[in-house]
Amino acid sequence: MWNYIIRRLIAIPLMLLVLSLVLFLLIWTLPGDAAFTAALSIADTVNLEKLQERFGLDRPWYVQYGDWLGGIFVGDFGDSLTPPHDSVMGSVKERLPKTLEVGLLTIILSAVISVPVGVISAVRRNKPEDYLLRAGTILGISVPNFWTGTLIIIYAFVWFNWNPIQDWVEFTEDPLKNLAIVIFPAAILAYSGAAYTARIMRSAMLEVLYSDHVRTARAKGLRERVVIFRHVFRSALIPVLTVVGLQLGTILGGAIVAEQIFAIPGMGLFALERIVARDYTAVLMITMIFAAMFMFVTLLVDILYTYVDPRIRY
Amino acid sequence: MSDASEAVQRPASETLLEQEYALPPEQRFNPLRWARREPAGALGVVLILVIGIMSGAAPLLNTTDPKSLESFTSDNLVGPSSDYYFGTDRQGRDVWSSVLYGGRISLKIGVVTVLVGTVGGTLLALIAGFVGGPVDFGLSRVADMLFAVPSLLLAMILDVVLVDKLPDLPALPAEELARVLAIAFFFMPGAFRIMRGSVLEQRSGQYVEAATLIGAGQFRIMLRHILPNITGLVIVLTTISLPAAILTEATLSFLLGSDAPSWGAELSGDSRQFFKNAPWLAIFPGAALAITVFGFNMFGDSIRDTLDPRLRGRI
Repeated sequence: MWNYIIRRLIAIPLMLLVLSLVLFLLIWTLPGDAAFTAALSIADTVNLEKLQERFGLDRPWYVQYGDWLGGIFVGDFGDSLTPPHDSVMGSVKERLPKTLEVGLLTIILSAVISVPVGVISAVRRNKPEDYLLRAGTILGISVPNFWTGTLIIIYAFVWFNWNPIQDWVEFTEDPLKNLAIVIFPAAILAYSGAAYTARIMRSAMLEVLYSDHVRTARAKGLRERVVIFRHVFRSALIPVLTVVGLQLGTILGGAIVAEQIFAIPGMGLFALERIVARDYTAVLMITMIFAAMFMFVTLLVDILYTYVDPRIRY
Repeated sequence: MSDASEAVQRPASETLLEQEYALPPEQRFNPLRWARREPAGALGVVLILVIGIMSGAAPLLNTTDPKSLESFTSDNLVGPSSDYYFGTDRQGRDVWSSVLYGGRISLKIGVVTVLVGTVGGTLLALIAGFVGGPVDFGLSRVADMLFAVPSLLLAMILDVVLVDKLPDLPALPAEELARVLAIAFFFMPGAFRIMRGSVLEQRSGQYVEAATLIGAGQFRIMLRHILPNITGLVIVLTTISLPAAILTEATLSFLLGSDAPSWGAELSGDSRQFFKNAPWLAIFPGAALAITVFGFNMFGDSIRDTLDPRLRGRI
């Protein structure tokens, strides 16, 4: 077990290293430095040469990559290519906690909704409540979250004359006001996430419901509730756990949309702004952070498997 | 004696083969029976057909091309009426027209993207499964790595990087080409993973062993024996990915904007400030998008259950 965890922990930085190289090559080498000129010329054509010199853009790509990599080890993520050329590390420190808060709330909401929905839908298979819940889940995966978010903003204003709070408030300052801000992005992300998980939960439950060990449990006279929760539910959790782990990627992607709609100054909005501005130093760093988070969560999920299913050993 | 038996046997064996392969009439695919067994899938097909035909026949349905100059009128921000079924936008353009024309873009990019993504993923999976060794290891690790990046982020980066670098093609302007490639890339790691597993599973099948013993080359086994056996999965993967592709296209157009009148782009940009006074600007393009994705989801689920029910819960 420990052996496995340590091997995975060693693999993560290696994969991140290769990923950074791939991204670097993709961005840096394809058109020479045309991409940079695009980014810089928006900023300042007069100072182009000065900026190129400052960022060392006239050097070959491998020197630049080595420089960038060296910076990572001492915690320097480089400066933005676009004005005001502030440190990327500073922006990340400020923005990451906000996205993590939205993401955490999304995962909690999503789990709270999807598990009961999936269980009820499976246990009451082909009954009216199953049809109703399935219609709800298929809508959840079909309705684009940027549309749901937009409609919330429109009708909250039209019906209640309410506008989303524009200025960020920390949880430590005013917990209620903070929650009033993050609940909306989290809710729209959780709806599509929960819909997806509930569908997986339902089919996983159905698969287990008709298996031999469940028939045995019923045959020996266990109460239905015990059968469902102790025998079916636990076995059905394994595929669900996989999906929930993979969903982190979707949530981080969704954060880009949700933060844009509700004007949350988090990593998602940061990613969008910097991608549009062709600020590749920041884009590279954002991607690396998201990928690192995803890799650690995947490892965590793999470790959790051993608790949910004792048969799994590494 | 031997002449006679040969003369009788040959046609007999041919008809036997035909008889063996031809399904009895009650087992042949019957759309109506399928619709009765899979009502949700049939509803999906109807929705897709309605949206597809309406977008295809947009010029005949009382519309003005949103790219043409006469689409700008002085009736700005007029609500839905018998003149403008879905109302008009800030520049007096008919929303009904832009929704129908937008469908063309969304459907086109969605379909092309999924084909590029799943076909590309399948080809790479075949190569990985057959060449094996370092090629398989390398491709699998690249897929793992790409899997770790949120696909939307990756698609956005690719879109922006590629749009600066690609030329305009006659059928596809650089903007649309970049979007197609970016979204196709969105699907490739997933398609590759699923198809690679299937290729490896098929490869260990006895029929592959038999073909090898007869002396079939690797290439022949790959294309004539394995590929037909994984086609079902490719079809399922394609139909299941279609709604996601259309949604991704819309999301990218929403976030990054688009010159073409696509459903996602209509919900973004400057027009957002008018939504509170003119909700129809947001409702109709979004509803068209949601109905399309809903239809494809219903259809994809049914296709999967019809072709291979074991896949339920896996893809």
